Amino acid sequence: MVLEAEPSLLWKGYSALPGAYDELIDATGVPRPHARVATEMLQGLTPEHFQRCQSLAELSLVQQGVTFSVYSDQRGTEKVMPVCLVPRVMGATEWTGVERGLVQRLTALELFLDDVYGDQRTMREGVVPGEMVDKSKSFVPRLRGIKPAGGVRIHIAGVDLIRDPAGTLRVLEDNLRTPSGVSYVLENRQVTKRVFQNAMESGGVRRVDDYPSQLAEALRSVSPIDPDESTVVVLTPGPFNSAYFEHSFLARSMGLELVEASDLVVDGDDVFVRTTMGPRRVHVIYRRTDDAYIDPEFFRPDSLLGVPGLMRAWAKGRVALANAPGNGVADDKAIYPFVPDLIRFFLKEEPILEQVPTFVCARRDDRMYVVEHLDELVVKAVDEAGGYGMLMGPQATIAEREKFRGLVLAEPRKYIAQHRVELSTCPTWVPEHRRLEPRRVDLRPFVLASRTSQLPGAVPDRWVLPGGLTRVALREGSYVVNSSQGGGSKDTWVQFANGSAA
Amino acid sequence: MISRVADHCFWVGRYLDRAESTARLLRVTRSLAFDAEMPTQAVWRPVVTVSGQFEDFVERFGDRAAGNGDAVQRYMTWAPENPVSIRTSIWGAREGARSIREVLSLDIWQATNELYLWFVSEEAQKTYQLDRDEIYRQIRRQTQLSLGLVRSTMLHDTPMDILWLGVLLERIGQTARILDMHHYLIPDDSGKHQQAGLVAGSQQIVQTALWLSLLRTCSGFEAFMRVHKGRVTGSDAVEFLLFEERFPRSLRYCVRSAVGLMRRIWPEHLAAIGGAPLARLAALDGWLGEQQKDLLPTSIHDLLTHVVDEVALVCSEARHAMSGATAALPVVEDAEGTPEPVATQEQTQ
Repeated sequence: MVLEAEPSLLWKGYSALPGAYDELIDATGVPRPHARVATEMLQGLTPEHFQRCQSLAELSLVQQGVTFSVYSDQRGTEKVMPVCLVPRVMGATEWTGVERGLVQRLTALELFLDDVYGDQRTMREGVVPGEMVDKSKSFVPRLRGIKPAGGVRIHIAGVDLIRDPAGTLRVLEDNLRTPSGVSYVLENRQVTKRVFQNAMESGGVRRVDDYPSQLAEALRSVSPIDPDESTVVVLTPGPFNSAYFEHSFLARSMGLELVEASDLVVDGDDVFVRTTMGPRRVHVIYRRTDDAYIDPEFFRPDSLLGVPGLMRAWAKGRVALANAPGNGVADDKAIYPFVPDLIRFFLKEEPILEQVPTFVCARRDDRMYVVEHLDELVVKAVDEAGGYGMLMGPQATIAEREKFRGLVLAEPRKYIAQHRVELSTCPTWVPEHRRLEPRRVDLRPFVLASRTSQLPGAVPDRWVLPGGLTRVALREGSYVVNSSQGGGSKDTWVQFANGSAA
Repeated sequence: MISRVADHCFWVGRYLDRAESTARLLRVTRSLAFDAEMPTQAVWRPVVTVSGQFEDFVERFGDRAAGNGDAVQRYMTWAPENPVSIRTSIWGAREGARSIREVLSLDIWQATNELYLWFVSEEAQKTYQLDRDEIYRQIRRQTQLSLGLVRSTMLHDTPMDILWLGVLLERIGQTARILDMHHYLIPDDSGKHQQAGLVAGSQQIVQTALWLSLLRTCSGFEAFMRVHKGRVTGSDAVEFLLFEERFPRSLRYCVRSAVGLMRRIWPEHLAAIGGAPLARLAALDGWLGEQQKDLLPTSIHDLLTHVVDEVALVCSEARHAMSGATAALPVVEDAEGTPEPVATQEQTQ
């Protein structure tokens, strides 16, 4: 179906950005086959109707308090992550590849973590330069030799994918610590389901609402005792944390207790939660706190935050922590360039998912190239996240580039560089223009791991949520999709393999 | 139930009821200032006194301001530095609710969140400037909405019992303080004024207006009139608010209900944990029954003081029990979950 010559006003003047891949429309303006479920649905809507749907969606998010806090405001101002109702659609065949690729990648990263905190074969055999691990801020040498209860380290992963102009999906970042955003996936679906019920029923979109029960099962599976007898809790830093809504949301939808560090106490080697009936033992903690704030005795003697003794209990295998402490070393940007080699090393397979070619400034040749081509490259500090500490070369001023040249030469290990990928776009509602325009998107699928067997060396079973968080850079021309810097989100529709729900 | 969550439940209940009682008190005091033909000094001063904030208020605004209706209302409604102002209470209720969203219903959270968002909006400021009675009415309606949703949408289980215990204990304290304030304003039987400045000639009118305002403050006007067939006397009004077992805001009713809730929260086999506050409150209930038999007008102030003191102790003992500090249950590996009821437990209610 070609968009007819006289398209409805919602699509008026819509054309893909030159040089970028559009998720729903091909370069000639024709909807991609798998995207028709969305384009046909939107075809019938007027801008007035669409705006009304948008306003309803936003109002319902404010009233329900689906918010994130903004750190810069002392009083904990809460904001709603803007949502665009035009969905991003993924075809079934492509999704199958994504699922396989994610499972492969995370399996390798899990083995890498076991290795880093174990024999360190990868470092001895030169798969990863030892320096990259040793100097990583997130590497915790004292954790060597500890095997986590349940044998899983990456219980919950959020892997950021982007699509290049040729249409190839590439991994941009692995988030193996406390990836957030899944609550928006579920809330966005609630909203689109209400607004576009008919299209969703006919279009064979896979459901995402069983994520909480899948997560609860995954958490129980790693308990040191019988999963059915286990107490699982969600640990939050508290209401002023930016992702507090999500912590509360997940606890609520899993029917688990939401606890703060002060609710937990370690006695001997066991962890207890303080209840009105006295202390009760806890077996699994889904912690949404950073490593640094888990246990002041272990990580930060100067800090009052955390649960004293928790790391001791974990090291003894008396409690499972999801995700495991120390995971940050594997999603460090300094390790990222070596992940394809890790996949080959551990699994004897070629990587299924591509990633972004990366210059490692610690290597002399790469470094020379980087400092000579700062105007073409994106330079990233390895220890920063969330779009901070980076140089967008093509858009930067001369002074900014000079500053980064100095930084890179002074501490090469701290920097990597990539050519800027022209992120794919998705039609996005622009209220000021009252029409759809292309805006850049990425995709964060979520992957859960469960213990399948008690046998040592058993590979965790991984499940990929059919969907994920599509983040969108709402500002025209922007590449930054982070919610803290003007990003919004979209519902992500993954289609059934046979094209129907039946 | 997690101790911190229990404590939040308790305080969400207390804060919601406190916001409501304070709005109620301010609204009725305003109308009293018009009806009772009393010097405003005499009407507003006790509002600050019964709030327990008299010293703080005088330190900030001076002694004369305590008789200034606007100053008192501003302090009791908006002042963030006043721990019992409506603002502090609404903020506390909302922050508490935010911390325990997973145990409340979505409806309760939404209503409480909307109450807060409205209260800090310009619209509320405008209403306060233009129509004082309306803002107090709105606060009452919206807090009552939240409280109503607690009973109609929340699982009737320990978290709700604890929340409602907070509501009742707060209400006992508020009712006792309001009664004490009126008692303070009203001439005693010998005709001497406890409060300087009453207009002696219109004493009868003043008295009646005071009793009516007292009943209205406690939403007891219609109920009282039904029971007493329209005859308003001081002793009847006081007894009604102290002892009427069928009236849900009387001290006796609230104390009784709170005892019932505590028996559900800490049934007999958990007496080791919550026995102390339960015994204290049950004793207070019995004591109130004794007082009803021969109450002398002169002993009302002492009675109310005793109630306020005992309820404060019950609150702190209950919070101590909820913290798990009094729990002596052995921690047995993998035996957690619902505690086994003691086999010989008898029905006590």
